[in-house]
Amino acid sequence: MNAVSAYETSAAARIGGRVYPRRRRRIKGASIAVLVFLAMCAAFISIPLYVVIVTSFKTMDQIALGEVFSLPTTWTFEGWWKAWAEVCSGMTCEGVRHGFFISLAILFPSLFLSIALASVTGYALALWNVRWAGPFLFVLFMCAFVPFQIIMIPLVALTASLGIYGTIWAIAVIHAVLAMPLLTLIFRNFYKDVPPEIINAAIMDSGSFWRIFAEIILPMSGNIMIVVLILMITSVWNDFLIGLTFGGMGAQPMTVILANTVITERGEVHYNVDMAAALLTAIPPLVVYFGLGKFFVQGITAGAIKG
Amino acid sequence: MSRRLTSKRLLGAFGLALAIGAAPFASAAATELKLFHTWSNESEIGALNAIVKAFEAKGNKITEMAVPHEQAGSSPLVSLIVAGTPPNLFINSEPGLYRDLTKRGLGEPLDAYFDKIGATPNFPETVLKSIKVDGEIRKIPTGVHIDGMIYYNKKVAAEAGVDPTKWASLDDMFADMKKVQQAGFTFIGVGGNTFQAGYLFHALVAAVAGPDIYNRFYGETPDKTVFDEKGLRDAIDMFRKITSQADAGWVNRQWNETTSTVISGKTLMQIHGDWMKGQWKANKKVLGEDFGCINIPGTKALSVTVDAFGILGGQPDDVLKAELDFAGTVVDPKINAEFASIKGSSPVRLDVPTDKLDACNQLVLDSLKKPGFSVQNPFNISDTDWLNSVWNTMYTFQGDPDMTVDDVIGDFRSEYAAVFP
Repeated sequence: MNAVSAYETSAAARIGGRVYPRRRRRIKGASIAVLVFLAMCAAFISIPLYVVIVTSFKTMDQIALGEVFSLPTTWTFEGWWKAWAEVCSGMTCEGVRHGFFISLAILFPSLFLSIALASVTGYALALWNVRWAGPFLFVLFMCAFVPFQIIMIPLVALTASLGIYGTIWAIAVIHAVLAMPLLTLIFRNFYKDVPPEIINAAIMDSGSFWRIFAEIILPMSGNIMIVVLILMITSVWNDFLIGLTFGGMGAQPMTVILANTVITERGEVHYNVDMAAALLTAIPPLVVYFGLGKFFVQGITAGAIKG
Repeated sequence: MSRRLTSKRLLGAFGLALAIGAAPFASAAATELKLFHTWSNESEIGALNAIVKAFEAKGNKITEMAVPHEQAGSSPLVSLIVAGTPPNLFINSEPGLYRDLTKRGLGEPLDAYFDKIGATPNFPETVLKSIKVDGEIRKIPTGVHIDGMIYYNKKVAAEAGVDPTKWASLDDMFADMKKVQQAGFTFIGVGGNTFQAGYLFHALVAAVAGPDIYNRFYGETPDKTVFDEKGLRDAIDMFRKITSQADAGWVNRQWNETTSTVISGKTLMQIHGDWMKGQWKANKKVLGEDFGCINIPGTKALSVTVDAFGILGGQPDDVLKAELDFAGTVVDPKINAEFASIKGSSPVRLDVPTDKLDACNQLVLDSLKKPGFSVQNPFNISDTDWLNSVWNTMYTFQGDPDMTVDDVIGDFRSEYAAVFP
């Protein structure tokens, strides 16, 4: 409590020189239930996370004892180093860092393509008189509900015919196409709050479609761009199936490398290495969330005009 | 006549020199093969490297694509084929895929080549059956695994005063149960998922009921009279007896974690595929000192998994030659023995040098030499829906103590009616 609020509180309690005892707030049953529920939700995530973290620092001998909740008797970073630099994905034994750089190479074109495509489409649908805009939006909306697995093989044939199958561009294009319905709806809903007078004035000042977009719309899109960036970074980074299917022989992202490390049917398992590899793969989206989480909430609640 | 050396002529001469200089290298350029596989474990990659090293020493080259294990294996392979970039060598056991490749003109039988290099007569009968599709050899066998063996902790056995190598039957084995329990150990480590239940059951059908009932039960279209066989009922009964040894933590326990209970000395033994050896090695335990292996006591047959690479046909001569070179390298007796010793499998030939084989490999090879003693893993011979039904039924049986052998047989009959109407 700062000095001002402390003064206000004491002033409220001393009215006319008399001191009135403050009523103690009673915790209601409903509040307790909510607290218990939230604590259970937190435990549901944090207990397995605790097991993952402590296991990553244990030796295999201690892991074999099966006491999953115990702290490491000997703390070792061996699992972390092996996961980062030595674990094999096929014959490439360079750890998950090998996939880390491929994932980065996939991330940037995916973000650029998906956000560029969806923001322009959303802008056109919201602020310009586009013929068949309603049916187009409806079709786009319906596309969001088509399971990816149904169109996977035709998309493989399509990217192969474009000559990009097995490259990071195939993965980036597929991410952009699959994200387009949701992102377009987000941008369109954001831009429809822009008053038409602004656009009309810009047109009268001889503003073209692209110039208005670049000089008026984009500068006021900071909030929604943060929201979309966080959504896309998480989705692209955590993706497994698109990377596995379209990465071909040379563009497998970090999640595929992680799966190669962790998933085994008949092979031996190094639990400490697996746990460390899983944590290393999860760190980048977590950093983005922690770093930009505040802006995400702001972006979700703000409109194009209100800040 | 004087000729001026213009820059154009200089460039032309340089280009010609480059072309002439490069020609011998071009003709001797390595043929590059694309290999698609599902291996990433230390032991698997160590073993694969042994093959690739020997293959590349012949002047060829391998580029690879590794994907996560079997569950995700088929889909990326199909994608590569659809995209028009099929790999030259691939891991896949589904006969349907090989038939599809043949229809696309991409099939390549290996019978003649394996005959030519003298490999065929040295493949055990089960290996030969497993690598054939519609009567033709279509796969290159890499290693053999036994689906049901016993790996036991030697210190626990010594402390409990039992010697598993003396067990001649499952009755002998269970006769020692009390001794082990009284010494404070769990008798048999049991895990909890359909994979372990399914593998334990088919290993027991082979061991207790024998090869005839096994093949009638797991055949492409099962013989429904097999449900009346006493041998099948005995196998189900033995399944109950073994799984009822489970300790408190068996639910959802993976096989590796079950192995850990044996490694850590809480449990005497585990009955599972011989790939358990990899987990013992990962924990730096030594065969003969820390652990030992035996077949299921008194077993009538062994169920055998054969790991193999498929091969792509319809290729130019140089590529096909390189593919056959690869096949020859894989089944080379010396290299195959080295592969087996690193991977923890057993060799696919009976004539391999024995210096690199351990006692468990030797036991497997001795078993495979016996005619009619081995049967194929159900994945090679069964209908997928039928196999899933069997796995689910046995996993339900494992978890439901009130379910009887009659209930299991009843479930098999109804599943059979649904799968083979």
